[in-house]
Amino acid sequence: MWQAFCCMRPILIVITLLSSLALCSKAQESPYFVTYDHHLEEPGNLEIATSSTMGVPRSGQRFYFAPYAEFEYGVTGRWTSELYLEGQSTAGDSAVFTGWRWENRFRPLAREHWINPVLYLEYEGINEASRIQKEIVGNAPGFGEPNSELSQTHAHELETKLILSSNFHDWNLAENFIVEKNLSQNEGFEFGYSLGVSRPLASLASGTKCRFCRENFSAGVELYGGLGSTAGFGFHDTAHYLAPVIAWQVSDNATLRFSPAIGLTHQSNPVLLRFGYSYEVRGFGSKLAQLFGGKP
Amino acid sequence: MLVTTPRVFAGLLCAVAMCCTALAQNASYEPDTGWQAPADAAARVNPLARKPAAAAGGKKLFLRECAECHREDGSGLVKKHSADLRLSVVQGQSDGTLFWKITNGNPDRGMPSFSRLPEMQRWQLVLFLRQLAPLKDSREKQDAK
Repeated sequence: MWQAFCCMRPILIVITLLSSLALCSKAQESPYFVTYDHHLEEPGNLEIATSSTMGVPRSGQRFYFAPYAEFEYGVTGRWTSELYLEGQSTAGDSAVFTGWRWENRFRPLAREHWINPVLYLEYEGINEASRIQKEIVGNAPGFGEPNSELSQTHAHELETKLILSSNFHDWNLAENFIVEKNLSQNEGFEFGYSLGVSRPLASLASGTKCRFCRENFSAGVELYGGLGSTAGFGFHDTAHYLAPVIAWQVSDNATLRFSPAIGLTHQSNPVLLRFGYSYEVRGFGSKLAQLFGGKP
Repeated sequence: MLVTTPRVFAGLLCAVAMCCTALAQNASYEPDTGWQAPADAAARVNPLARKPAAAAGGKKLFLRECAECHREDGSGLVKKHSADLRLSVVQGQSDGTLFWKITNGNPDRGMPSFSRLPEMQRWQLVLFLRQLAPLKDSREKQDAK
């Protein structure tokens, strides 16, 4: 495990430096890692986040560590765009850059409704060594081949999601339906799902600033997995995970998240550990515009 | 001369700062007439109305979530087209209407939705908004003259 961390040191340094660029920020994050709810980024704000997925595979397979950086920008009140950069390191193997993703979320309805739909469109320029598992689709991937081989197989993928999300008092319930198409290979369409439910641990905000009070924590659970492909739809040979999630708003600036996911099928990893740390730079768009002499 | 120059400079600086503050406030805020809460939402009563102490939490939330656009005193910013929350055109709205507007936002006019906040925290914000120093809007000032 330690060897995998050492291999990733340069990538971790870059990610840490990028995160430290966020000097003035605030955060109010949902605790989910995989599931999306209907809350978009505020217009003009930039969220910088670093997360990682650590896989503890079955016996005979190797531990891996897959960090990724996210740059999420609120383009308008109804459109959020996000860029991902990701890497991966496997114990006893190498550390590799596994690609990038560009996702966009659109909210067609302006007002809050009983069920709030969001349309999601993502392009992925990744390789087969990718392990961040931001979504689980299709059939379960194998983890046996070395990074040197996997990183040579590139995949240009288009992913769409229908996000449905509802708030009931303090509870959030979100459902994501995923369709992914690998444009590089004739694999047909792959399907997946993700469900999440969460709530803050306290409803009322206290009058004083506090770091450990309950209002700064939210918790929930996610359930996600693959649903096969057009070649064979269903649960056969698919990975599924049940994942408790918890988020701690450390300060007005930052949020920490953690999720230990438990594999539910033989094709799943027994455990996936996910960590996340996010900043939100408020008014980034107007500051950038002012820098270049534009109208804020 | 050596004594007076710094005083004059400081005076000018104060005057400029006061002008900037006055210009930055959005007392001439024009509400979006199409941004109306449904009647049932407008009629809702603040469940924290009898708990004024909860406004302290509302203030904390306001400073964290709202002050960047509405300023710490709620006076709004011209460049952000954000409302001066002290105006009677805002304060005259029901608690339910303010709650609905905080919850839904007005994304096409730059006001984000705050439905991600727990419901009671949104009511805390409404409670705090009622504590902002009331101010008559510019038209009312003109009428008074």
